[in-house]
Amino acid sequence: MVSPPNNERPNSSPHENEDDYYLSKHPYQPQAKTSLAREQVALASASRWKLVYYRFKKHRLAVFALYTLLLFYLCVPFAEQIAPYSANTRNSDYLYAPPQSIHLFHEGKWQGPFVYPMKASVNLEFMRWDYEIETQKPMHLRFFCRGEPYKYLGTFKLDFHLVCPPENGVFYPLGTDRLGRDLLSGLIHGARLSLTLGLVGVAISMVLGVVLGGLAGYLGGLVDGAIQRLIEILRSLPELPLWMALSAAMPVTWSPIAVYLGLTVILGLLDWPGLARAVRAKIMALKQEDYAKAALYMGASPSRIIFRHLLPGFTSHLIASATLSIPAMILGETALSFLDLGLRRPAVSWGVLLNEAQSISVVVLYPWLMAPMLVVIIVVLAFNFLGDGLRDAADPYHH
Amino acid sequence: MSKKGVASTLMCLWGWLLFVGVSQALATPQLRLIEPPFFVNAVKAGLPPVQQRVPTPHHVTDMQAINRQEGEYGGTLKTLVTREKDSRLMNAWGYARLLGYTPELHLKPDILRSYSVEEGRIFTFELRSNHRWSDGAPFTSQDFRFWYEDIANNDRLRPGGLPSFLLVEGKPPRFKVLSKTKFVYAWHKPNPQFLPELAKARPPFIYRPYHYLKQFHAKYADIKQLSIWAEQRRLRGWAPLFNRLDDMYGARNADLPTLQPWHRLFGESARRIVFARNPFFHRVDSKGKQLPYIDRVIMTVVDNKIVATKTQAGETHLQARGLKFADISLLKQAQRRGVLSLKLWRISKGSQISILPNLNVADKRLRKLFQNKHFRHALSLAINRKLINKVLYFGLAVPANDTVLPKSPLFMPHYQTAWTNHAPEVANKLLDEIGLKRQGINAMRHLPDGTPLRIIVELSGERQEQIDAMELVAADWRDIGIEVFVKPSQRDVIRARALSGELMMSVWTGFENGIPTAHMLPDDYAPTRSDFLSWPQWGLYYESSGNAGQLPQWLPAKRLIDLYKDFLRTQGNGQRESIWRDILEIHANNTIHIGLISQVRQPVAVKDLQNVPGDAFYGWDPGAHFGIHRMDAFFFPKQ
Repeated sequence: MVSPPNNERPNSSPHENEDDYYLSKHPYQPQAKTSLAREQVALASASRWKLVYYRFKKHRLAVFALYTLLLFYLCVPFAEQIAPYSANTRNSDYLYAPPQSIHLFHEGKWQGPFVYPMKASVNLEFMRWDYEIETQKPMHLRFFCRGEPYKYLGTFKLDFHLVCPPENGVFYPLGTDRLGRDLLSGLIHGARLSLTLGLVGVAISMVLGVVLGGLAGYLGGLVDGAIQRLIEILRSLPELPLWMALSAAMPVTWSPIAVYLGLTVILGLLDWPGLARAVRAKIMALKQEDYAKAALYMGASPSRIIFRHLLPGFTSHLIASATLSIPAMILGETALSFLDLGLRRPAVSWGVLLNEAQSISVVVLYPWLMAPMLVVIIVVLAFNFLGDGLRDAADPYHH
Repeated sequence: MSKKGVASTLMCLWGWLLFVGVSQALATPQLRLIEPPFFVNAVKAGLPPVQQRVPTPHHVTDMQAINRQEGEYGGTLKTLVTREKDSRLMNAWGYARLLGYTPELHLKPDILRSYSVEEGRIFTFELRSNHRWSDGAPFTSQDFRFWYEDIANNDRLRPGGLPSFLLVEGKPPRFKVLSKTKFVYAWHKPNPQFLPELAKARPPFIYRPYHYLKQFHAKYADIKQLSIWAEQRRLRGWAPLFNRLDDMYGARNADLPTLQPWHRLFGESARRIVFARNPFFHRVDSKGKQLPYIDRVIMTVVDNKIVATKTQAGETHLQARGLKFADISLLKQAQRRGVLSLKLWRISKGSQISILPNLNVADKRLRKLFQNKHFRHALSLAINRKLINKVLYFGLAVPANDTVLPKSPLFMPHYQTAWTNHAPEVANKLLDEIGLKRQGINAMRHLPDGTPLRIIVELSGERQEQIDAMELVAADWRDIGIEVFVKPSQRDVIRARALSGELMMSVWTGFENGIPTAHMLPDDYAPTRSDFLSWPQWGLYYESSGNAGQLPQWLPAKRLIDLYKDFLRTQGNGQRESIWRDILEIHANNTIHIGLISQVRQPVAVKDLQNVPGDAFYGWDPGAHFGIHRMDAFFFPKQ
């Protein structure tokens, strides 16, 4: 099938009307093929990954999702610097404090970002904490400042923060919980665990899935049988009791990091069978292709055949399923922590924060504590859009 | 105040020969009883009229005298429970007992017409004449004889033998029927356990409906027929069948007649439990209305987590169970909307949150440490109880030890305050003195042999307030160099781990009875049971009469169990009071329970109901939740 040269393509598509055959008015010029525009040359000779990139860039939503995720992932290495407080800093003078709004103008005059101080008092009539906002004196937020000290990476004693509460004041842009802990700081610190848990878990399940699925598909026979049975056993295990048993088995004296790693491994170990099955099916189909047979007859080793010839055939599938299972992992963690099976304070994740927000009182009286829900929704959606874009892009020859 | 209280209980209860209740009977010569509309049709169909249903002399409640109003007949009370077996709560809330506590904690005859006690060991009971079970059969001495001879002393039905409240130095009483309404229990020595046991929220029911249950008892019924019935229900023999049907407390057998204000109806489902008024109930008000005022009670079984949600939506008329202090803000909002009215009762437990070091922990080094009172004092002094009060309870509770509350006549201020001031410096000094040195990079304390001191505190995880309080306590303890890990677990797991010695510390609610009077048993305060998490092994030793567990060598525990044994031999309230004081003094000096806070408020949501007291104490034993506050007198006003 020969398509007409691009520079002569008319505005309307030739296929709009079946009877309306298109005939170029210009005489046929065989040389035109060689006079492609520079971009077209670049496109035609671009490597596979470049094509993926071009294609991805066209998917606006995916690009937007990518930037959003990058922003969130900034919290992973720099949580201490971004958050104004640590995740477990309590202030018993501000229990259930509502979100503080950030102002720019005070009495009509530009002041820069500032907050008004608030004062708590017990309302015995309604049995709740009332906050009175004192709008006389604006308190300026400080930026690139020295605030609450922390140990960065467990070793360096630092006190640098992106934003600090005003001198002798507090800064709770998303409010506080029942013990007076800042919710924004909780979210930022929680991102560290919630976001990486998905990546690590997916990495584990990818490695296991590709290796075991690849072996099963390529070698077949006894190996295939054994791996298939293993998958069936794993799939038939009821998940909830299994999680409960595993998390109960983790000793309390473990540090939050160890519990977190344990949780990731659990999630990863349970996730690979689906991927392994897909890989096995693909390998089985592709190894019947002529080019794979040719490689075999030319004496290529199994690993070269798998990784060089077969694997590229379904990278798109792998990438898509990986990006789509990251949000599943994040949701898995939230679900586990929500059920009191996963992480526990002092470790903070979004699931931990959500677990603390599961009561009617929160919904009715302290709705700001449900903010982690919003964040989870945003991140999961972003991952889904990103996966969508990647899937389209990873197969640039496919329309 | 305490002296007066003791004196009055003394006068009321144990003297030589005290006839209580007779005056009550004489005060009401003739009362014209009013038929409840609920039974008008039934009376036409053959039910005897109310004059013939209520026993004489009547049990008359003068509503004005107890600060209540005379009520109206009728209405259906809806309430929420959290488990199917909560049908038993109806029998606690109804609180018809042979003799029961008043809200002032005096023992008064209720089902009994009168009783007398001689030498603290001979108990003569007299019933009202014409008292009837809820199915109309007469309630007589025969029902008591049936329980004592054919149930309690039947080794197929009760393989464990007589319950401990019936044994004095291992010996049973002599039981004798004197007449149709009169009978006597006599021991060779005083039995101070007997009467308080009968007034409990879960009483032993020393009477059973002979006319109904005899058809399932091998002594009276055809054993072949019984084994057929047992087989039909897949039970092994007549004894399990009998025990299944004989469910006086659980209220799961709707056929079993009762003496309580409401009796169970056959329900359409296990999640909706329906009770109707007992036509033969013995109490009446001074205007001649038969109690209870309310015709029917419907319990709906829902999940614990949504009790607050449903309450604030107005789906219950009377609710305390499943509501926590933290729900008060929400309920206050519902009150503002006019959905309900909220009463804040005071919880009568010794403490709302109590930290219990396991004095029987298996680890030798820890055991030695926990048994050292300086260590426990240091832990107690390090805690900022005021902060806990402010953060969790708006400052409305009382920072205090786990001990008796001011409402108890035994109360002394120093029981409550000993070692509860916030003094981390003193705590640090105490810890330094007993050889717990700060070491390592984070300068946490280590045991004398150099291993780091790490304490795992386990809690049941059902109460958020316990977890929150422990977070505050853990921070306080970290400040004095003690590293704490909090582990939410489950009740049964914790109990099992305590007995095996794996449990180091636990968090629980404090003493069940924080408002004892001198005649109540101090069994919670001494190692008498194996399910006490501070000293399971010593409790097991007492419970099993020395066949299992460990003999307490630790001085305070030894002294407590000796005092408890002395108590069981006492005859009068004077001796009992001095024993109580010794016991409470030991607890105050030794900080055996590290109590944090007491007299927390219990929200009681009330919708449309009258006669629910505004300020009362809320407890199980004594109290029976609403029972002691006369749920049978609650009523719905006419629109």
